[in-house]
Amino acid sequence: MKVLMVTPYPPIRDGIGAYAVQEVKRLRAEGHAVTVLSPYPSAAHQHLDLRTPRGVLALAKRARAYDRVVVQYHPDVFLPLFVSPARRLATTLALCALFVVARGSEVRVHEVDYDLGRSPGPNGLATRLLWRLPSRVSVHTQAEKDRFEPSFGLRKGAVTVAEHGQHFERRTTLDRAGARRKLGLDPDAVIFLSIGFVQPHKGFDRGVQAFAGLGDAGCQLWVVGSVRIDEEAYLDYVDELEHLCRRTPGAHLKKGFLSDERFDEWIVAADVVLLPYRHIWSSSVIERAELYDRPVIASRVGGLEGQAPEGTRLVDDDIELRMAMVEVAADHGAPVGQVEAVDWPETTDRSAVQEAITAAATTERGGPPLDTARPFTGHRTGTGERDRDPVTGLQRLPPLSPPSPQSARPGAAALKKVVRRLTAWEIDPIVHHVNRLRQVTLDAVDREDDEDR
Amino acid sequence: MDRSGLIGIVPPRYGDEVIGGAEAVLREAARGLASRGWDVEVLTTCARDHFSWDNEYPPGLSRDGDVAVRRFPTVLDTRRAERAEISAAILAGAEVDLERQQRWMNDDLRVPELWHHLLDHGTEYRALLFAPYLFWTTFAGGQVQPDRTILVPCLHDEPEAWLELFRPLFSGARGIWFLSEPEHELAHRIHGELPDHDVTGAGVDVPERYDPDGFRERHRLGDQPFLLYAGRREGGKNWEWLLSAFHRAVDAHDLPFALVTMGTGEVTPPEEIADRVIDLGFLPVEERDDAFAAATAYVQPSALESFSRTVMEAWLAGTPVVANGASEVVAWHCERSGAGLTFADEVDFGWALRYLAEQPDGARAMAKAGREYVLEHYQWDTVLDRMEVLLHEWTGPAPR
Repeated sequence: MKVLMVTPYPPIRDGIGAYAVQEVKRLRAEGHAVTVLSPYPSAAHQHLDLRTPRGVLALAKRARAYDRVVVQYHPDVFLPLFVSPARRLATTLALCALFVVARGSEVRVHEVDYDLGRSPGPNGLATRLLWRLPSRVSVHTQAEKDRFEPSFGLRKGAVTVAEHGQHFERRTTLDRAGARRKLGLDPDAVIFLSIGFVQPHKGFDRGVQAFAGLGDAGCQLWVVGSVRIDEEAYLDYVDELEHLCRRTPGAHLKKGFLSDERFDEWIVAADVVLLPYRHIWSSSVIERAELYDRPVIASRVGGLEGQAPEGTRLVDDDIELRMAMVEVAADHGAPVGQVEAVDWPETTDRSAVQEAITAAATTERGGPPLDTARPFTGHRTGTGERDRDPVTGLQRLPPLSPPSPQSARPGAAALKKVVRRLTAWEIDPIVHHVNRLRQVTLDAVDREDDEDR
Repeated sequence: MDRSGLIGIVPPRYGDEVIGGAEAVLREAARGLASRGWDVEVLTTCARDHFSWDNEYPPGLSRDGDVAVRRFPTVLDTRRAERAEISAAILAGAEVDLERQQRWMNDDLRVPELWHHLLDHGTEYRALLFAPYLFWTTFAGGQVQPDRTILVPCLHDEPEAWLELFRPLFSGARGIWFLSEPEHELAHRIHGELPDHDVTGAGVDVPERYDPDGFRERHRLGDQPFLLYAGRREGGKNWEWLLSAFHRAVDAHDLPFALVTMGTGEVTPPEEIADRVIDLGFLPVEERDDAFAAATAYVQPSALESFSRTVMEAWLAGTPVVANGASEVVAWHCERSGAGLTFADEVDFGWALRYLAEQPDGARAMAKAGREYVLEHYQWDTVLDRMEVLLHEWTGPAPR
């Protein structure tokens, strides 16, 4: 059978590409003639810029030559970051044309904006039509299916759940000790691993913050990955993370692209894989961890609950994340987490009792409190002394970012987006420069702190 | 002492059924000053609820004992969408320019008739007391006759407190009364120089007797030990956090406690602890006092306190306090009195409750220092003495 696979593809590092490769490999092994088409030059057989309606129509023209067309769908493949309603409509209609002419079209949905399905305008209509046309639409978790079908007005059962890791194969034969030797890791440390593209929604900073104090108990946290998009906001996030790791004993950030084999070696080397995502649709890391029987601690977000194999520790907030990490560390023999009883002081002295409470809590959580009972007090613009400690004030100052082009007023959001695009050439360098200044200042203060110690 | 002249007291809400720390302080101050011979008039809204701001009390003049109460209708004629949008930006720490800050303030309840009353008759008052700083009644009303305005800000370290918008209110007032030393320090951190100001504190009434056994019987609480929370059950008071931390603590430490709560706001505990969370709703004052006495401990989850009257009421009843250390004011009270334990997160909280479960006598003995602390610093007589001295020093004789 002649199969056309439309997908981001290696050697560009991309989770969807890595996923698609496994499926291509399986299809080819089954004897199908697979042609891969990617949205940019890659190891794929063909490439087409799919971010224009014309590009999608060109794809539709080619698709007629195949018995089966598989599309790995992510909005970024077909739409630029800022898109007008008219452009979105044109692209959606072009995709409709693709699914009308293609025989046996299958769409693997990796991410989608459910709100579009409920939109009353022409874009809503076109989007609801779009998802009726493919022969098969699949998502990776039951939670996504349960949202997808009603959002786009599809009958129950119209969407199937494809097991995310169904095509995954092992890419290393090393055992834990071997992987650690190869990667130069401490053979005896309890190692937590967060791996994948480093971007704010992955929440790797949450993991580092929750790790605070565990380094002293012989644990390590490795955040391994690279920046996918060269946007200032993403680069700033990496800077933030780097800064956080430097300040957190035992936490390390290892930046850079990884080969597939190296990716798996990191997973094998770890004791537990940590996925503190803020939001995510589904995760291929969770599948690869399962492949090597590595336990996972993950946030209960997106479709992870449905996707996570039995034994995955799902957490709802930072304190649960912290406690889960402490439990794992304790299971591996780290001196944290176990407080059976406390010898309460035989006194009514408040300080002595408070000290005993604080000591028990510190041992249980393996470090200082996370201050979860303290609400965020925001950015301050007062006229007096802003904080007793100027360093604290500096650390609380969030990175500058242009205001979000959102508004509750009809039409205002679109207008803001236009203004944002028109002024980006002028604003972005300033934002970047301010954030660099902030980072350099923080680094300088850190260095001074270290020297003082 | 010259007590001539009319004292106007301006809370956003006033009445028996109104729950709120600032409102309670102003009400007690109004009654206390009136009982000492001052001519006191409360200028307030017809609202009881601070979410809907529905006009539930009739407008016009009425009396609350010695105090005259003049009510004005609230106006809420926008969808408050812009306020919500700007609030989100403020809470996210984004820069919000002055123009948007002003739109934020005005896209909420307004009381134009009260404002115009102050405009027309403001000079007839010897002093005008406004609280708390965050409400339109204070923000707008407090700047109509600034030379007669005494601000009782009830300030917390919250993002709104740092808005430039409030600078003229704080700098222009005739004087400022703070309820605690940490609140005073916070005001200097935010605003730098301040006009005349002093820490008056606030007072709490000392009940003549407590009936903890009767309270347990009346509310069918049996012998089960319980923690108490009194006040507004809402996000700003960390109520949801308390439910979640309590859930975690009873699970982790196998604790025997129920959580009894009284006040306003919805109580929707997680299913697993629903049978342990007992909502008594709004209780009359005597019942509230008995509840404090019957509890194993009083829990104060709020990080935004400028005085924390309920903590004082618990200590008066001889009941230990477990409080959020993120509130500088409450942590200060706990340390100064030696009678309260603080927490920074759920783990601390769990261990503090475990201490209460394992050492109930020790905890009760610790709380004794709390009663002495309240009696020494926070009885209304002491507070009113200070308020009268300041009124005398800062305000002139009765306007003609």
